[in-house]
Amino acid sequence: MRLTNAVLLPGPVKVMTSFVELFGEKGYLADIGMSLYRVITSFALACLIAVPLGILMGTFRRVEAFFNPLVSAFRYLPAPSFIPLLLMWFGAGESEKLALLFLGVVWFLITLIMDYAKSIPTDFINTALTLGGNRKQILWTVIVPAMLPNILTAMRQMLAVSWTYLVIAEIVAADSGIGAMMMRAKRFVHIDEIMAGIITIGFLGLFFDILLRAARRMLFPYLESND
Amino acid sequence: MTGNSIQSTQRSGLVLQHVSKEYPVKSGESVLAVSDVSFGVIENEICVLLGPSGCGKSTVLHMMAGLIDPTLGSLTLDGVKIHGPGQDRGMVFQGYTSFPWLTVEENVEYGMRLNNVSAAERKERVDYFIARVDLSRFRNAYPKQLSGGMKQRVAIARMLANAPKISLMDEPFGALDAETRWHMQELLLDIIDESKMTAVMVTHDIPEALFLADRIIFLSRHPGRIREILSMDFKQGRRITNKEELIETPGYIELERNILRMMRQEASEDV
Repeated sequence: MRLTNAVLLPGPVKVMTSFVELFGEKGYLADIGMSLYRVITSFALACLIAVPLGILMGTFRRVEAFFNPLVSAFRYLPAPSFIPLLLMWFGAGESEKLALLFLGVVWFLITLIMDYAKSIPTDFINTALTLGGNRKQILWTVIVPAMLPNILTAMRQMLAVSWTYLVIAEIVAADSGIGAMMMRAKRFVHIDEIMAGIITIGFLGLFFDILLRAARRMLFPYLESND
Repeated sequence: MTGNSIQSTQRSGLVLQHVSKEYPVKSGESVLAVSDVSFGVIENEICVLLGPSGCGKSTVLHMMAGLIDPTLGSLTLDGVKIHGPGQDRGMVFQGYTSFPWLTVEENVEYGMRLNNVSAAERKERVDYFIARVDLSRFRNAYPKQLSGGMKQRVAIARMLANAPKISLMDEPFGALDAETRWHMQELLLDIIDESKMTAVMVTHDIPEALFLADRIIFLSRHPGRIREILSMDFKQGRRITNKEELIETPGYIELERNILRMMRQEASEDV
């Protein structure tokens, strides 16, 4: 009698050796590259929208009043529920995956950045006002510089979520990427490769986290704390 | 004595006439924070707003800065109605407001940049005021490397370098320990005296008020209104920049006792 089934729960050595096979014979590097491309492209697009919009919403009450109902509503809609719609609109190509990843993070990113913008000390703004600053000057010389470290923190927080939607996108319909590799492995009952995929994603997530933390320390040496 | 005697004669400088401020609280209800305050700030004086917490002294100062609009009454500077904040009324806040992403030098220069002061003049004023607040060794440091007292000196230098007509200070030393506070008071009095500036300072610290003030406006609370205007007759028209000397000056103890009594009465009205 064995407590575990070696096929359904392969040992660590088996999982490690599957990496060799994946990289050597199964073109895993291309899969990882594809996944990275999807995460980074969609995330860059989300930031392009969310950073300026979040700052404006956190700064100007009217901008918030206009956009917040939309943003709040979308935050409650699970991004995967859009998959059937996105498949109909874009087909099973790259656009569909990028769109899903974009929808998965953009609303939360806007909200996070808006909240960070609101948490800028009122006395910073009041100081600039009593020194004779106008709204435009305050936006560019107080709010934006005060926001930069927070933007990086918000990005670090949301990038993790982006990886979640990547796997969903690649499991639903993809012939390349880490998620796609895992679905292929499932078909052939290569549990070791599925685990290798999970480990890869965990490792990449950790890598980006460390990278963004280091970037924050390097770019903003003046901060009191660097978390 | 009430504030009305000044308000009727003064036109230049900062003048408050029948200023009231109401804050809405719950639906339909509102609380009166400041009620019918009238006085004028005399040119080159240090005017201290003193009173128990909740007397609206900070609200009055914020209205002078234009950061809060009065509900009733008017505030004018040299006869022109105050409409929002502006370069002519600088302010130092109780909390630390040095921008953390700028060095000491850049912080002091910041206001002048907003107002398009020429580079040469910026440099001259930065040099002067950084030296004046004893921060020359730290001019390239970031605020995180500074102590609380140093951060407030940056804020004071930044305000003064911007050349306001009036300097407003909202408990600027409130967060500092006693010793630092005392050094800062002497430094501030020195600078004000030397540059002949006009200043309004809010505090609830009686010795601080007596040390710095040419005139004390004592506010009572609920609602905040002028209870008494105290002229510093015992100083005989001069500023005493040494604390020991001030305390030994005849009349000091009596005045301090009077103010303490007023504070106590204000407190007991609550019970």
